Amino acid sequence: MARSAAVDLSRRRLIQALLATTAIPLLVSLPKDVDPNAIVEVGGWILKRGDLK
Amino acid sequence: MIFADFESFRASGATAKVCVIGSGPAGTTIARKLAAAGVPSVIFEAGGTEWSEDSQDFYRGKTVGDPYFDLDVTRLRFLGGCSNHWAGWCRVLDTHDFQPKAWVPDTGWPIGRADIEPYLEEVHDILELDAFRADVPISDDIRLVQLIKSPAVQFGEKFHDEIERSPLISLVLNTYVTELAGDGRRITGARIWSRDRDAGTFVADYYVPCTGGLENSRLLLWSNQQSNGAVVPNAAALGRYWMEHPQFLGGDAILSDYSIFPTDTTNEAFFSPSPAAMEARKIMNFGIRLIETPYGGVKQVIADLACVAPDFAEWAAYQLGQNLRCAAQLYVGWEQAPLASNFIRLSETDRDKVGVPRIELHWKKSDMERRTILEGLRLFGETLAARDIGRVRIADWLVNGEDYPTDQELAGHHHMGGTRMSDDPEKGVVDRNSKVHGVDNLFIGGSSVFATSGQCNPTTTITALACRLGEHLGGIAGA
Ligand SMILES: Cc1cc2nc3c(=O)[nH]c(=O)nc-3n(C[C@H](O)[C@H](O)[C@H](O)COP(=O)(O)OP(=O)(O)OC[C@H]3O[C@@H](n4cnc5c(N)ncnc54)[C@H](O)[C@@H]3O)c2cc1C
Repeated sequence: MARSAAVDLSRRRLIQALLATTAIPLLVSLPKDVDPNAIVEVGGWILKRGDLK
Repeated sequence: MIFADFESFRASGATAKVCVIGSGPAGTTIARKLAAAGVPSVIFEAGGTEWSEDSQDFYRGKTVGDPYFDLDVTRLRFLGGCSNHWAGWCRVLDTHDFQPKAWVPDTGWPIGRADIEPYLEEVHDILELDAFRADVPISDDIRLVQLIKSPAVQFGEKFHDEIERSPLISLVLNTYVTELAGDGRRITGARIWSRDRDAGTFVADYYVPCTGGLENSRLLLWSNQQSNGAVVPNAAALGRYWMEHPQFLGGDAILSDYSIFPTDTTNEAFFSPSPAAMEARKIMNFGIRLIETPYGGVKQVIADLACVAPDFAEWAAYQLGQNLRCAAQLYVGWEQAPLASNFIRLSETDRDKVGVPRIELHWKKSDMERRTILEGLRLFGETLAARDIGRVRIADWLVNGEDYPTDQELAGHHHMGGTRMSDDPEKGVVDRNSKVHGVDNLFIGGSSVFATSGQCNPTTTITALACRLGEHLGGIAGA
């Protein structure tokens, strides 16, 4: 019991740390009329423009 | 009937109309079809019933160009051939794989998928396959396709007893066909080396080399050299258009619902492009293999995603925290453009112990292929994003135009081309019936006849083509 709680705790910490990573504001000034569903490629990721916020 | 060597075969007085060379999936299937048609054949198998260092040594060779497996490791020289170590992954070439691609020179077969379809039921019995599930389009560009992971039938083992009992098949072990002799119109005999000595010449009505996708070229190149071109009179394409299925880790995916795709028993799913997508992007066929990412790797992928798409990454991290599967590695394997510049030739310096020159394989991946994987992963990524079922990240080495990784499997051990099928003797070695152009009694079995390779593993198609050739030859030889 105690062992698996410890594993859970460290996993939670890890994820918290991950989420604390500051997102790089890649497209800070997005034009207002862009289609959020348009496909964009950023750093190898194939994303929707709407993901970049 | 099974004989330990050529001497015991000769002493038995057994006869054969057809001389099949090699006992892998192609040779075994052809001999069984001939027997079904009542035509006696002999299979000469260079190796014995087990792996041996001595036999493998005949397969040593050299590769020039891109890194490739050692040629004595990527194949097996004993009863059953490479079926002794194949993985058993099965799929038949698709209809569009047989058709020409207007944007890629030298593509297209003289036969279509419909020509091998009548044999597929038999192939399912031979390879012990369930019925294939139909492809499922997940967009106009991408289809979920099925690759059956079969029990990996070992031909030497599965058909041993049947051959032993057969009065129409003589399987002769430890018997190396070093050379065919011909007069420019017919093959006149097969030169035999058995149990470490020259055993003379064997004569039959028909000859069918089935020595594998590298060795068929070697045998014919050497026979042609020895006979001043009298074995393959139209030799422009002999040894050329050699192909593999290169494969590399090409990226990762975060999936919004891992269960959206039916995965197989090892949690893998496979995807391929539609013909329209290949045409629009002017690329070859490819296969994406989606595999669940180990936990450690998922964290890194999510961290990377957080840099560009924090909301989506947050969701993915939550999934991970809940112990849910949400990430996958994307392996990509692809069809090479058939190029005359990828070829097998005979070494000028290195020979096996009988004196037959070893193989020198000249093989390089082309720019077209690089584009195929990049555009292929893009197509897949665009499909997942547009349908909001996931996001794809293409590997850095691909995005940055770096060299292919050197720490991965490289390719599928699929040896194709070298004696390709074409109606044009300048572009191919065999015709639509797998008969060597201009030679009445020489036919070829195996993936060396592939005109193009498609994206899938070759052995299901090899076996179907072997059924077709066996039936065709049975008709001629039995007449
Ligand atoms: C590691 C590995 C994994 C694979 N996995 C898959 C897979 O999952 N799915 C798939 O479809 N394919 C797979 N393959 C490929 C598959 O094994 C081959 O496509 C298939 O075995 C080819 O059959 P073949 O009869 O044409 O040739 P081979 O199996 O190579 O048989 C040729 C036979 O000819 C004999 N021979 C050679 N030269 C002579 C000679 N001069 N005289 C007499 N006999 C000779 C050899 O000893 C051998 O028995 C894999 C291959 C490898 C190496």
